[in-house]
Amino acid sequence: MSSVNKQNASPDRKVELIDIVIDGKTVQAEEGSSLFNAIKWTGVELPAMCYHYSFSPFGSCGLCLVEVEGKKNNVRACTAKVIEGMVVNTQTEKMVDAQKAAIEKHLKTHPLDCPVCDKDGQCELQDMAYDLEVYDIKEGKRKVIPEDTRAVALDFNMERCILCGQCINVCKEVQLVDALCFYKKDKAKHVGAHGGETLDCEFCGDCLAVCPVGAIVNKFSKYTFKPWQLEKTETTCGFCSDGCTLTLETKAREIKVVTSELSYTSKFGFDIEAGDGHGGICVRGRFGFQYVMSDKRLTLPQVKNNGEFLEIPWFKAMIEIAKRLNDIKAAYGGDAIAGLISGRCTNESVYLFQRFMRSVLDTNNIDTAARYGHMNSVLALQETLKIGGATISLQELALSDAILMVGSDFTETNPITALRVKASMAEYGGKLMVAHNTETKMLKLATLPLQIAVGSESHFIQGLVKAVLSKGLADSDFIEKQPAAYTALKSAVAQISETVVAEKTGLEWEKIEEVAQTLALSKRGVLLWAEDIVSKTGAYQNVQRLIDLALLCGLFRKKGAGILPVCEENNEQGAVDMGAVPEFLPGQIPFDLEDERQRFESAWHATLPSASAKRPGLSLPEIIEAAHRGEIKALYLVGENPLGTLPASMKVREALEKIDLIICQDPFMSETAEIADYVLPVATFAENEGTYTNIVGDVNRVVEAFSPRDEVRPDWKIFSDLSKNLGHPIQYRAVEEIRAEINTLVPGYYRQDKTMQIGDLSEDFARHVADRYKTKENKKTDTTVTLSLQQSLYHSGKLSTHDENLMEINSKNFLQISPADAEALQAETGDLINIKSAFGQLEVKIEVAEALPKGLVCYPIHFNDPPVKDLMTVEVDAKSKAIYFRSIAVTLARSASLDLKVIASEKALQEREETESSAKAEQT
Amino acid sequence: MATENPPTKERNPHLPLLRTEELLLNLGPQHPSTHGVLKVILSLEGEKIIKSEPVLGFLHRGVEKIAENITYNQFIPHTDRLDYVCAMYNNFAYVRAIEKLLNITVPERAEYLRTIVAEVQRIIGHLFWLGTQALDIGAMTVFFYTFREREVLLDIFVDLCGARLTTSWYRVGGVERDFDEKIIADIYRFIESFHEKIAEYDTLLINNRIWLARTKNIAVISGEDAIAYGLSGSTLRGSGVDYDLRKVAPYGAYDKVEWTVPLGKKGDTYDRYWVRMEEMKESSKIVKQCLDQLPEGPYKAYLPKYVAPDKERVFTDMESMIYQFKLYSDGFDAPPGDIYCGTEAHKGELGFYIVSQGGGKPYRLKIRAPSFVHMGAFDFMAKGYMIADIITIFGTYDIVMGECDR
Amino acid sequence: MRKFLHNVLFIEIMKALKLVFSHYFVKEVTLQYPHEKTLLPNTQRGALCLLRYEETQEERCVGCDLCGVACPSACITVVSEVDEKEGQIVRRYASSFDIDITKCVFCGFCVEACPVNALAMTKMYEYSTINKRDLIFDKNKLYDIGEKFHGEAKGYLVAHNQENEDEEIVSQYRYRFPASRQEDETEPEKKKAAPKLEAAVKTND
Repeated sequence: MSSVNKQNASPDRKVELIDIVIDGKTVQAEEGSSLFNAIKWTGVELPAMCYHYSFSPFGSCGLCLVEVEGKKNNVRACTAKVIEGMVVNTQTEKMVDAQKAAIEKHLKTHPLDCPVCDKDGQCELQDMAYDLEVYDIKEGKRKVIPEDTRAVALDFNMERCILCGQCINVCKEVQLVDALCFYKKDKAKHVGAHGGETLDCEFCGDCLAVCPVGAIVNKFSKYTFKPWQLEKTETTCGFCSDGCTLTLETKAREIKVVTSELSYTSKFGFDIEAGDGHGGICVRGRFGFQYVMSDKRLTLPQVKNNGEFLEIPWFKAMIEIAKRLNDIKAAYGGDAIAGLISGRCTNESVYLFQRFMRSVLDTNNIDTAARYGHMNSVLALQETLKIGGATISLQELALSDAILMVGSDFTETNPITALRVKASMAEYGGKLMVAHNTETKMLKLATLPLQIAVGSESHFIQGLVKAVLSKGLADSDFIEKQPAAYTALKSAVAQISETVVAEKTGLEWEKIEEVAQTLALSKRGVLLWAEDIVSKTGAYQNVQRLIDLALLCGLFRKKGAGILPVCEENNEQGAVDMGAVPEFLPGQIPFDLEDERQRFESAWHATLPSASAKRPGLSLPEIIEAAHRGEIKALYLVGENPLGTLPASMKVREALEKIDLIICQDPFMSETAEIADYVLPVATFAENEGTYTNIVGDVNRVVEAFSPRDEVRPDWKIFSDLSKNLGHPIQYRAVEEIRAEINTLVPGYYRQDKTMQIGDLSEDFARHVADRYKTKENKKTDTTVTLSLQQSLYHSGKLSTHDENLMEINSKNFLQISPADAEALQAETGDLINIKSAFGQLEVKIEVAEALPKGLVCYPIHFNDPPVKDLMTVEVDAKSKAIYFRSIAVTLARSASLDLKVIASEKALQEREETESSAKAEQT
Repeated sequence: MATENPPTKERNPHLPLLRTEELLLNLGPQHPSTHGVLKVILSLEGEKIIKSEPVLGFLHRGVEKIAENITYNQFIPHTDRLDYVCAMYNNFAYVRAIEKLLNITVPERAEYLRTIVAEVQRIIGHLFWLGTQALDIGAMTVFFYTFREREVLLDIFVDLCGARLTTSWYRVGGVERDFDEKIIADIYRFIESFHEKIAEYDTLLINNRIWLARTKNIAVISGEDAIAYGLSGSTLRGSGVDYDLRKVAPYGAYDKVEWTVPLGKKGDTYDRYWVRMEEMKESSKIVKQCLDQLPEGPYKAYLPKYVAPDKERVFTDMESMIYQFKLYSDGFDAPPGDIYCGTEAHKGELGFYIVSQGGGKPYRLKIRAPSFVHMGAFDFMAKGYMIADIITIFGTYDIVMGECDR
Repeated sequence: MRKFLHNVLFIEIMKALKLVFSHYFVKEVTLQYPHEKTLLPNTQRGALCLLRYEETQEERCVGCDLCGVACPSACITVVSEVDEKEGQIVRRYASSFDIDITKCVFCGFCVEACPVNALAMTKMYEYSTINKRDLIFDKNKLYDIGEKFHGEAKGYLVAHNQENEDEEIVSQYRYRFPASRQEDETEPEKKKAAPKLEAAVKTND
């Protein structure tokens, strides 16, 4: 048996093993590794309160004491390094006494808080005191330190703290945030933000999870539960596409806390392999559970009657909806019906929805939230390589030796996968290159930060492709196997000018070459792109160019290398996989493939809508357009809220008002639901069974923590009921049956070890490659300021804005502005300024953000008050039909009220001066 | 004549059919003398019992399964309800099993206290048996007299632990509460007058011709058969087998006091009655000696890992508070392994078989209930006797269905 | 002859009758419940109640639910909440505390478990009601019982070694709720460049 340090466990490293003797047994250990790890792998569980496998040994608790022959004093195993020929004894009486003494020291000063402490019952100090049989200790002076409740989500109770430093280490070494530290106050050691300030961090809550005692407390559920009252359900998070495993701890149908693998009970990490995550979750997952219990949840189906909603029972709603759908289908045909489903529904619900729409309502007009961006990646990948998603696993991401991240604010959108990226850099020695137009957290950490100019992503990528080719770094395998593609590429990039690229991106050409070199020469390189690529103008071509880059760097060929297109919502990938887009049948099978169509038709006992060029099925922008023309008579919205999502310039309201029947299925009353004819309440992820497909294509299980509240139903039951009422029953007794059906139609979809089969390079590749490298003469706009809609770490779509906890942590609907721009406007954080685009103007509060470059203002996409999104222009991609509305040129101006305020304050100052001077005058 | 008309095997078709067959009779489960809810399917030939088949399970609560889901300590109140007549002895047997599993010893005073209360409980059990057995047979007065004494003892139990029947007084590592002066005085007073009371019962029964007629030579079981059927306790000793766990494998303070094991000769109901009467006398002897010898000292062991700390320490000590919370929420951490521990309850050998896989809850807990084992010999003992004796036979091995069905 | 006489004259029956009739002259031991009631000792495990601290009349219970988890029949349901005063949490208490007395086995484990001695048993044993729901004792009812039978409850705690008779010793222990702080009163230390912890526990290595 050998011991492996998680640190430096990169596959490239050569391991030197040496022999040491532990309790009379000779074992092999890695040279220079911690003695604690060597002992751990022999199966001896040394008590240790400050140890966690995810960070390096710290040595504050003094429990892991061992006897080393030749040393007079006890040795702390965790901080000691193994030395050849070491003889170690772990189980001597002297050690136990010393361990007891270490616990006693904590107990003497610990307050008698067990009755109120939330940690009681899952407290490591309790466990240790019990296991080591510490009793009859001398009375000590108890600490009296008031609780620090200044921070938003976390309270710090320093009376209970045992100063193990795990919170600090996990923050520093795993999160690479370093928000916590020890500081001294009133002669006592505290844990908190640097300098004892109010903690203002990301609130990922990992410190809360690793805290072995009740020193760090969850503010939202403080003092309201005890561990033995809670029922645990392991499920998958419903916010972002990371697909983290969460444990919902519920008491009487209320989620009390959300925990994850990361806790003191998993500290030894016996089953952890290199590249595995540390098991933590982010702020959204940990604190964003309140919306499940929200009072604003819909409870009964509602029907609009004379402009007002009336609650009706389910059976009545189902019959009425079925009748109206049937009437529309009979009168106008299936093409007059369209459906949109959110990327938050489970795979099973999405599958059933598309089956219902296609086989019962005879329409192919279905689309999903992936149309806002992710479809670009899917379609481009399908076109080039017949793959539909990421080609690496999360472990491979962590173990990669070079990561290029383009247009992604990864720590904000996917905080837990971002930790794998951080680990690849910090623990396994990989190189991280981040190209983004703001100074994101990831960019600050990167080994090669590349802050590119606003809107220059396309130039940057072209430059990279050129650099690879011009420096002769292209993958020899690619050149050999695809000579035509290679020459086509080479000739296509010939006209790209290095100086133009350098000028546009604001980077030196040498730097771009360096990036290209690093990625091309990497053994396990990863190319990652995200929202700034896929949901902004020219996305489809940009993705194609990125694929070119990956091909040239051999990322599809090398083991452990690959691409990672990032999607936003938790099941966007799954929604596309399950065929909720007009282009694909389940399994990303093209809709017009005749053989496959027959397979599905026989499985569904129905005829699929025609796949002729005349009736290809409408995508989201086309549905809106068709609605404008009055061609859509019924619209079925599942968790989608186009009115709240799309800018006013798309005239969604006018389009929707022309539709006869809108059915809206949502847990909350959304903007679109307000104008719908029927609103059906549905279950949230905590009340649902099913699966989510995450960013890398892993299918994760969603487990029902408690049955849906009131009359709320899960999506699949509603579809099933409707189909029955429509006369084409698709009935299931449980989600498992849907899952079994998917498994037969899309074989292997649920397999945990499935890998993306990379297809052959498209034959048209060489022919079309030149198109995407033609330099388009961009209209020279005199924009100085670009407004961009950005995602925030604390929110995920609109759903999280219903969550009280997350809104308490962050509900800043501020326009972020660079210091330079703010200065130009003479405005400060909190001031209202006037923002104007071609589509209107409004006043919005600003927040000065250091990270932003001059000429870029950002607004969180999750908020719509004031309706900043309505300033946006809408562009539909010709190829992928994706909708872009995330950035626009704007002009900023001082708001009139701001001027008023300044005048007012000047006036006040003047008045005060006057009174003061008059008072002085009086005195004299 | 005989040669002219010889008897034939063929039936005369003109004569009516006279059938003789066994009569199946359901006795119970609502019969007042079935000591709970026992149903017996009797096959009768006339008044004679050919076969009797006890049907169990009317009082099944699944306590063995309950035990798997609660901590060791939490099961103590559940043992009260096994043999609800003698809760103390069930507690005793259970905590002894746990102590054997944990391999802990109990302070001397606690051992004495446990022995005294156990023997008082034995007296109560025998008094209860005597009263109900006599009542079943038709002697009502005895019932009132025995219950009068039982009441005195139950009052002592109330003083001691606050409950008459569901006592839960024994704890792992000791007992819940120490004796006070009043309890000691009360027990002394009772023991002093008890032999007079026994004399009263003797006056009523020992020479009573009805009693003798109903008990002598009824439900005879030989020593060999009794062993073969796994009988234990006074039922076994009534057949003359000298087997008493208190002597064989002494626990408590039984080896520190002098007493004898009364043995029957014939193994009939009368012998068992006699044995129990003698045992009551022996018990009062044991109680008296124990009270005389009662040593000073703690009434529960100081083993913080297994025994909850004193309440006052919980208020002031961090470690005691931790132990308090650990012991009452997770229970103590029992070592893995399996043990069997039998205890001589007044009905027979009450044993607990516990399989532990570590942690605060048993993996499996099996109760060897004497009533259940004795039920196995029921058919053997009832065969050939009159139906009128069946109630006597029920009573003779002192069954309680709460323990039998569990 | 003696045996014959014995049989004929029903000697043993006569003796028994003599004994029985002699009991006409013995003081009766029966109590005529409900007109007469037994005197119960302090140890009596009767109805449960909740207690307050005598001097402040504050609820002792902090809602830790240790009673609930110690209960062998799972008849206690505790929901805990916090009291806030000016944004500060000033105490934790049980916002609802229900004991299903129909399930309760009166073992007293909850009292033993209670880390603040908020629970106690009284001598009350008459639960008859015409409404079954009355038998789920809620928080108010438990406090009412505690007030009505305060002496008995105290007696119980003393008798079962839960509380000391000496009031002074008892009053030493009062649960002190962790106080909060809103503002930093003292000047924070200068930000450390690399925060490093000296070993919290000094060992001899």
